[in-house]
Amino acid sequence: MTRIYLDPERCIGCRSCEVACEREHGHPRISVGVVDDLAAVPVYCHQCDAAPCVAVCHTDSLRIDGEMVVFNPDLCTLCGLCAVACPFGAIELGSEIKRCDLCSGTPVCVMTCPTEALVRGDVDAITRSTRARAAGVLAARLR
Amino acid sequence: MTSRTPTVCPYCAVGCGFYITPNGVEYMQDHPVNEGSLCPKGNVAPDVLNHVERLRYPMMRTGDGWIRVSWSEALDRVAEEMPRALREKGPKALAFLGSAKCTNEENYTFQKIARLMGTNSIDNSARRCHSPTIIALRRMLGTPAMTNPISDLALSDCIFVIGSNLAENHPVVARWILRAKDRGAAVIVADPRVTPTAWLADLHLQLNPGTDIALINGMINVILGEGLEDRSFIRERTRGFEELDVSDYTPERVSSITGLSAADIVRAARLYAKAGASSIVYCMGITQHSCGTENVTACANLALICGQVGRPGTGILPLRGQNNVQGACDMGALADFYPGWRSVDDSGAIDELRRLWNARSLPLGRGLTADMMPDADLRFLYVMGEDIVNSHPAVARRRERLKRGFVVVQDIFLTDTAKLADLVLPAAAWAEKEGTFTSTERRVQWVSRAREPPGDARPDLWILSEVAARLGFDLPHDPEEVLAEINQAVPAYGGICRMNAGRRGGIIWPCPHPDHPGTPVLHTERFSTPDGRARITPVHHPAPERTSPEHPMILITGRVVLHYNSGSMTMRSEGLVKREPELHVDVHPDDAVRFGVADGDTVMIETRWGRARARAKLTPGQKRGTLFMPFHFPETNLVASELLDEKSMMPELKVAACRIWRAD
Ligand code: SF4
Ligand code: SF4
Ligand code: SF4
Repeated sequence: MTRIYLDPERCIGCRSCEVACEREHGHPRISVGVVDDLAAVPVYCHQCDAAPCVAVCHTDSLRIDGEMVVFNPDLCTLCGLCAVACPFGAIELGSEIKRCDLCSGTPVCVMTCPTEALVRGDVDAITRSTRARAAGVLAARLR
Repeated sequence: MTSRTPTVCPYCAVGCGFYITPNGVEYMQDHPVNEGSLCPKGNVAPDVLNHVERLRYPMMRTGDGWIRVSWSEALDRVAEEMPRALREKGPKALAFLGSAKCTNEENYTFQKIARLMGTNSIDNSARRCHSPTIIALRRMLGTPAMTNPISDLALSDCIFVIGSNLAENHPVVARWILRAKDRGAAVIVADPRVTPTAWLADLHLQLNPGTDIALINGMINVILGEGLEDRSFIRERTRGFEELDVSDYTPERVSSITGLSAADIVRAARLYAKAGASSIVYCMGITQHSCGTENVTACANLALICGQVGRPGTGILPLRGQNNVQGACDMGALADFYPGWRSVDDSGAIDELRRLWNARSLPLGRGLTADMMPDADLRFLYVMGEDIVNSHPAVARRRERLKRGFVVVQDIFLTDTAKLADLVLPAAAWAEKEGTFTSTERRVQWVSRAREPPGDARPDLWILSEVAARLGFDLPHDPEEVLAEINQAVPAYGGICRMNAGRRGGIIWPCPHPDHPGTPVLHTERFSTPDGRARITPVHHPAPERTSPEHPMILITGRVVLHYNSGSMTMRSEGLVKREPELHVDVHPDDAVRFGVADGDTVMIETRWGRARARAKLTPGQKRGTLFMPFHFPETNLVASELLDEKSMMPELKVAACRIWRAD
């Protein structure tokens, strides 16, 4: 399952991902929230497996296609249920639904992130590298 | 021109590489500094290239308005006014301001014109970001520059960040710090505020503003007390250790000065001294003080007594502000240095340049620095790519005085400084011309022309060589030819050419001859002082700026991630300005209650230097008793302190006693 994952420990709230996404798509589909100047969380579509937006969509304009959630604007009635249902607040309503489409393979948000807080990849591979990193840190502290 | 041209970011001095394409930006994943990534400013850098407000034609002042003039009229006028001022009042009546955003070749040519006209009154914006670094590191280590490349941070076991909010100001540097953390390195951040940089810290030292020397001397006290210093390094590679007396700086006393706990001071000292490789990263939180030179000295002392210099992962890393601060200084666009860091007092060293330039004589002694220019009796001021009115506190208040002579401003936008000018010359932006930029890590990179300049705008080098020709000096107008002369004038650039600087990632100076691979890590065997040893130099905690009943708070100034310096470029980038449109002041919620201020209120801030209006932003990350304002908005400079560091002429921009009240 290919998705974009966020390591919140690395995010510095610089909004580079947001600015880059806006440059490519005219409107940012990722939005960085900074909480009390103490932490930052970029909000974006997680391409959920059991996607609540897909579940509530009456018209099938949102559906799961293989690895990701896809959107068909022709069927959309702009009722806004998906935006309310998304647990991440990743969908924005305008004249058309605005949500991340993974940039067809080379997400600019991932490429531009100065701290590698955003990673695109397979969940197993990412978990493996996170574990390896954590083990390395622990080992260094024990030395 | 091809559809994608490699370039270097025109904003901060990290020197990130990317491609300019007809539609904008493409990431350069094999660049050694940023590996493709860019901060928000880099992402929209091309916005300024075809901006509607770009200056397109030379313009002459007529009363309150402007008329368009031809290049030959404009250049003739410069070449009339400059010698006239010289004839009437001598070289002291001329002043020049170079630009840390222009290329090395342009700054070199600019300072050469100033010096050939007989004046050392040439300066650049390094004066208000890293002049203390220049003075202190040159004296102590021999080379006034970052000792190790940024990517070396990934090899550090302990990173001590002091006076730098790099996560906002140099975001790509955070990448390498996180790599070090992935290996288990400890990160210490000393900053009065909880910044995104502090989020990365294992130990955040939230010290009182302006107490950095006390903290560092306290750490040295602990290190010496516990025998953690590197005795053999001190013996073999340094001088002056005997004079270093920090016995007064016990953790308990330092605790009372800094507001930190003694235990944290001890912990920081142990972490830094015991790590296999430790580095110190600092920025304007260290330099922009009336004790800026001493602050840098204290940092270098700490590194030297622990032997944390001269190896990968160690070192002293001053993060420069603008993309070519390091280069503009290497080129001698400074009132106290000629090219190649020759002191204006060293007639022997200057004699070599005199021969190279075929000049009858060259001026000696420090010229006017930027902050001194408004008070001088000038008849002619030439400003190249610098918005001095919005970036120098003293100048902002005395802007009218700049107009006493003939003022030429050469820039890409009609900045507030350009509005004061008698003649405005439209310059090409970074991607519309060729030449080299030197990043904060001494990395020299050749930038190619990616676009045509708008209208009649011309590269600064073209403009300068045309002016020079009219003055009777035959100076090259081709960047490669100028670089060839720089090879002779600046020893560290001896072997730098278009070829090696044009490779991916360029080349890191010193590169003394054409076959030299460059020198990423300095001081590995010897320091660049005359005897090869570093100078440990005692410094002491100065009397801090005090609050009073009228001014009960301390104002701190700094930057935010979305803007850059005076804002002349970022305020014209829609994606940035809409996210950060106006001046705000950070207030701790407890202080807000004390002064009856609510989130979003319009407030007034007053120091003894001036008043500013801002929007209050309540945040628990602000230290109680302090306020924070970003300096990208002109109002901030009106309240910043005018005190100067006598050694470097750096203004005290970081700390000022102030008061705050609701404006309505
Ligand atoms: S993957 Fe592309 S569309 Fe999705 S948030 Fe990132 S930049 Fe935006
Ligand atoms: S670019 Fe990276 S660090 Fe910056 S806000 Fe986005 S996720 Fe966070
Ligand atoms: S970190 Fe500095 S050099 Fe890199 S993109 Fe941002 S402003 Fe440009």
